[in-house]
Amino acid sequence: MTPDLIAFFVLALIAIAAALGMLLGRNVVYSALFLVLNFGTVAVFYILLDAPFIALTQVSVYAGAIMVLFLFVIMLLGTETLPVSKALPWQRPLAFVLALILAGEAGYLLFFRKVTSGTIPQPVQTFGSPQAVGQALFNQYLLPFEVTSVLLLIAMVGAIVLTIKEKGGQGK
Amino acid sequence: MFTSTTFLSILPETLILILGVILLIVEPFWKVKDPSSGGDEQRRNAGWLTAGGLFAVLVISVLVGRPGDPTSTFGSSIRFDWLGFFFKMLFIFGAGITALLLMDHEKVGRRGEAYMLLLASTIGMCLMASAADLITLYLAIETTSIPLYVLAGFMLTDEHSTEAGFKYLLFGAMTSAIMLYGFSLLYGFTGTTNLYALADAFKSGQLAAPVMFGLIVLIVVGLGFKVSVVPFHFWAPDVYEGAPTPVSGFLSTASKAAGFAVIARLFLVVFHDVAVDWAAVFAILSAVTMTVGNLLALPQKNLKRMLAYSSIAHAGYAMIGIVAVSKLGITSVVFYLLAYIVTNLAAFGIVMTVGRVTGSDEYDAYRGLSRRSPWLALVMLAAFLSLAGMPPFGGFIAKVLVFAAGIQANYIWLVVIGILNSIVGLYYYLNVLKYVYLFRMEKEDEEAHPIAVTRPYAIALVVLVLGIILLGTVFAPWFGFSNAAAMNLF
Amino acid sequence: MDLALWIEFIIKGFILIFAVLTGFAYLTLYERRALARIQTRIGPNRAGPQGFFQPVADAVKLIFKEELTPAKADKVLFVLAPIMTVVPAMILAAVIPLGTQFTLPFLNRPVTLYVSDINVGVLYLTAIASIAVYGIVLAGWSSNNKYAMLGGLRSSAQMISYELSLGLCFVIAILLGNSMSLLDIVEAQKSVWFVVIQPVGALIFMVTTLAEVNRAPFDMPEAEQELAAGYHSEYSGMKFALFFMAEYEKMIVISMIAATLFFGGFREFWFLQGTVFSVDHFWWLGPIYLLLKVVVLLFLMIWVRATWPRIRYDRLMAFGWKVLLPLSLALVFITALGILLANQFGAIYIWTIPVLSILAGLIAVLLVNMSLRRKVAHA
Repeated sequence: MTPDLIAFFVLALIAIAAALGMLLGRNVVYSALFLVLNFGTVAVFYILLDAPFIALTQVSVYAGAIMVLFLFVIMLLGTETLPVSKALPWQRPLAFVLALILAGEAGYLLFFRKVTSGTIPQPVQTFGSPQAVGQALFNQYLLPFEVTSVLLLIAMVGAIVLTIKEKGGQGK
Repeated sequence: MFTSTTFLSILPETLILILGVILLIVEPFWKVKDPSSGGDEQRRNAGWLTAGGLFAVLVISVLVGRPGDPTSTFGSSIRFDWLGFFFKMLFIFGAGITALLLMDHEKVGRRGEAYMLLLASTIGMCLMASAADLITLYLAIETTSIPLYVLAGFMLTDEHSTEAGFKYLLFGAMTSAIMLYGFSLLYGFTGTTNLYALADAFKSGQLAAPVMFGLIVLIVVGLGFKVSVVPFHFWAPDVYEGAPTPVSGFLSTASKAAGFAVIARLFLVVFHDVAVDWAAVFAILSAVTMTVGNLLALPQKNLKRMLAYSSIAHAGYAMIGIVAVSKLGITSVVFYLLAYIVTNLAAFGIVMTVGRVTGSDEYDAYRGLSRRSPWLALVMLAAFLSLAGMPPFGGFIAKVLVFAAGIQANYIWLVVIGILNSIVGLYYYLNVLKYVYLFRMEKEDEEAHPIAVTRPYAIALVVLVLGIILLGTVFAPWFGFSNAAAMNLF
Repeated sequence: MDLALWIEFIIKGFILIFAVLTGFAYLTLYERRALARIQTRIGPNRAGPQGFFQPVADAVKLIFKEELTPAKADKVLFVLAPIMTVVPAMILAAVIPLGTQFTLPFLNRPVTLYVSDINVGVLYLTAIASIAVYGIVLAGWSSNNKYAMLGGLRSSAQMISYELSLGLCFVIAILLGNSMSLLDIVEAQKSVWFVVIQPVGALIFMVTTLAEVNRAPFDMPEAEQELAAGYHSEYSGMKFALFFMAEYEKMIVISMIAATLFFGGFREFWFLQGTVFSVDHFWWLGPIYLLLKVVVLLFLMIWVRATWPRIRYDRLMAFGWKVLLPLSLALVFITALGILLANQFGAIYIWTIPVLSILAGLIAVLLVNMSLRRKVAHA
C-alpha cells in the first residue's frame, strides 16, 4: 500500500464516522461540528488529489462561512437539542429495508459484475493550480459560472423578500 | 470561441437578465412613500415593464435569434437548436402572461421583487431547454426552482402560502439532491458531463444494465418532481392551492413544460439507445399519473386544487408522447405543452380574476358566473373545454396527436387508458361549468354583481383565448414548429 | 519526500511557533508599555529591567491559577474551544515568507526562510482565518452563559461580515502580484510597494483585520459594559490564557500578512535597493526588515486602541456591509481596470489605480458623512 492509499483509507474512515456522527447526533451543535469535520476531511482528499485550490476553497467556503452561519442560526434559535423523534411507525423498517436493498445492489455490482467505469483522462499535474482553475472557469465553464452568479443574486433577493418587514403598515 | 452564434444562443436569457436588472434598479424609484397618493398605481409599473419587456424579448428573439442548424456553444454547455428555441419562446410567453396576471394580485403584484423572481425563473427555464451539459442543466434547474420556492411562499402573512413555499422547498431540495446524485454517478461511469458525449457512451454499451437502470431511476425522481408525475406529485395540490394564483399558473404550465423539455432532451438524446429499458417504466408512470390525477380531481370542491390534480393528469397525457420514442411522439409532446400552457394559463387567469372579486376559489363562488359576467364565463368555457380535449380548441388537437403517437408506437393499452381518462376528465371539467352556467347565486340578482376585469387581465385573457382557438383551428403552422423542434432530437 | 526535508520542515515549524509564542509574550509587554506612554503612565517596569520579565511573571501566575469549569457547561467543547482558537492563529504563519534562502554551512544544503510556499498561499490564509471563528463561537456556546453566548454570536457575525472585505483586499494583492503565492507577491513589490499603488486597499485591509482579531475599536465580543467579558467570561487560568494568546498571536500574524501583502514583506526599503543593505546581499536582513515592519504595524494597532472608543454594534455591522464591502468591491474593479490599462498602453497607466482608488475612498467618506449628517438633522 502506498502512503497515499493509507491516507485515503484513514481519511475515508474519519469522513464516514463524521457523517454518521452528524446524522445520529441528537445535539444540533455537535451535528454541525461533525459536518465541519467531514468538510475538512473532504478538503484533505482534494489535497491528496493535487488540487489545493479546490481544497482551500472548500475549507473557506463550507467550513469557514456556511457552517458558521449554521451554528449562528442554531444558537440564535436556541434549539440545540432535538426533541425525541416522532417518526411514523412504518418508516424505520421501510428505511432499513431500502438501505439493505441499496447495500445489496452496491455489493452485487462491486463483487459479481464487472462494472467498467468511464475512462477519465489523467489530468496534467497543474490542473489544480489557480491559473488552471481560472482558465477552466472562464472558458469551458463560463456559462455555468455566470448562471451561478444569477442564481446567487436571485437567492439573495429571495432571502430578502422572505425576511424583510415592509415599512409603512400593510406588509407583514 | 465567441462568435455571433455564441451570443445568439443565449440571446433570450441575456435580454431577460438585462430586463431584470433594469427592473431592480428602476423599481425602488417608483415607490411612493405615502400609499394614499397614488403610490400603488405607480408600483404597478413594474408589472407593465415586466410584461412589456418579456413580449419585446419574445419579438426580438423571434426576429433575430432564430437558430440554424443545431450547434453547440459555450464549450458545449448549450445546444442551440429549434427544440430549445421553441420552448424558450413558450416560457417567455408564459412568463409575460403571468406577469400580467400578477399585476392586480393584492399582496404580490405591487412588489417589484416578485417580477424579478419571475424573470430569474424564466432565465432558468430557458437554460433548461437548451442545456447540453449536466452542470449547466443542474444549475438551470436550480435557477428555475429557487425563485419559485420564494414565489410560492411570497405571502408571508398567509399560512397557506407559507406552507406552500415550505413544502415546495422541501420536496424540491430532496428530489434535486437525488437527481444530482444520479448526475454524479453518470459522470463517474462515463467520465463526461456533456449530453452528446454521454449519448456516445451509452451507444457503445459500456454500462451494465443494473447501473443504467439505477441511474435512470435517480434522474426520473428529480424530473418527475418537476413535471409532477404520480409518485412525486404530493406537493402539487397543496402548493397550487396555497401559492398566489398566478404563481400556481406559472408552476403548472411553464415549470412543467421546462421539465418536459429536459426529459425530452435527456432521454431521447442520452438514453435513446436504451429506450427499451425506460419506455416501459414511463408508460406505467404515464398510465398511473393520468388515472390518479383524474380520479383525485373528481371529488374536489376547490377550483385551484382541482386544477392541480388536472395538471397532474395532463403530465400523464403528455408523457405518452415521450413513451412513443418517435419523431411524432416528440412533436406531439411539444404541441401538447404549447396547447396546455395557453389553456391552463387561461384557466388560472380566470381563477385569479374571479378569486380577486369573490375572495374564494371554491366551486360555490362560481355560481351564476354566466350571468354576472357572460364574457368571462365564455372564456372559462373555452379554457375548460380545451382542457377536456374538445374540438375546436387547442386541447383537442394536442390529445389527438399524443394518442396518435402512442398508437404508432404500439402502446394501444396506454392510449385506451388515456381515452378513458379523458372521459373522466370531461366529467369534472363540465361539473365546474355546471356551476357557472346552471346554478344561481342564492337570493341575489347576479347582474348586480358583475366581476370587474382590470385591463391587464383583459389583455391576458383575450390573448389566451385567441391562442386556444387558433391552436385548435389553424394548427398547421404550430404543428410545423413542433415538428421542426422534434427533428432536432433525431 | 526524503527524510532531510521532513526534518527541515519540523525544525522550521518549531522555530516559527517559538518565534510567534515569544512574540506574543513580548507583545503584551509592548502593548502595556505603549498604552501607558500614551496615557502618560509608566506601565509595568518592576519585573526585571524595564519590566523585561513581566511576561514570565504573568505566565507563572496564569499557570498556577485555579481553573473553573461551570457545572452546566458542555465539558468537551469547553475544553476544545480555546484549543480551536489558538491553533489556527499559530499555523497561519506557515506560508508567510520571512526571507529568501541561505545555504546551510557544512551540510551545503539550501534552506528557505519559510515553512512552505504553496501556490495558493493567500487562499490558505483566508481558509485558516475563517476557521478561527469556531473557537470563539463554541467558547460562547459551551459556557452555558448568556453573556458568553452573546459575545460568541456577535463575534461570528462580525468576523463573517468583515471577512468579505478582507477577502477582497486579498484579491487586490493577488491581482497586483499576479499570483496567489505570497513569495511571488513579495517579489512583485521589489520596486514599488502595493500600498503605494493601492493605498485605500491597504487601509481597508488594516481596518478589517482589526475586526477580524476582535481588537479595539471592534472588540464587540468582549465589550465589558454590555457582556461582562464576552465569550471568555467563564474561562480562567490557562484556558483563558489561550484565548489571550490567540488574540495576540493573531495580531502578530496579521501584521506579518499586512506587511507581506502591502508593505513589501521581507524586502528592503526601496531606497536601499542594490546597496549592501539589500536582502539579495545578506539573507539575514529579510527577517529583520519584516520584524521592523511588523513592529510599526503593531504600534498602529495599539495606537488605535488607545485612541478610539468602541463603535456601537449596529454601526459596526452597517459599516462593514454598507461601506467597506461596496468600497472594496469598487477597489477590486479599479485595480483590475488599472492592470488592464497598464498591459494595454504601457506601465505608466498603473498609476490610474491610486488616483481612482483615492477618489472612490473620498466618495465613500463623503457619503458616510452625508448620511450621518442627515441622521443628526432628523434627531
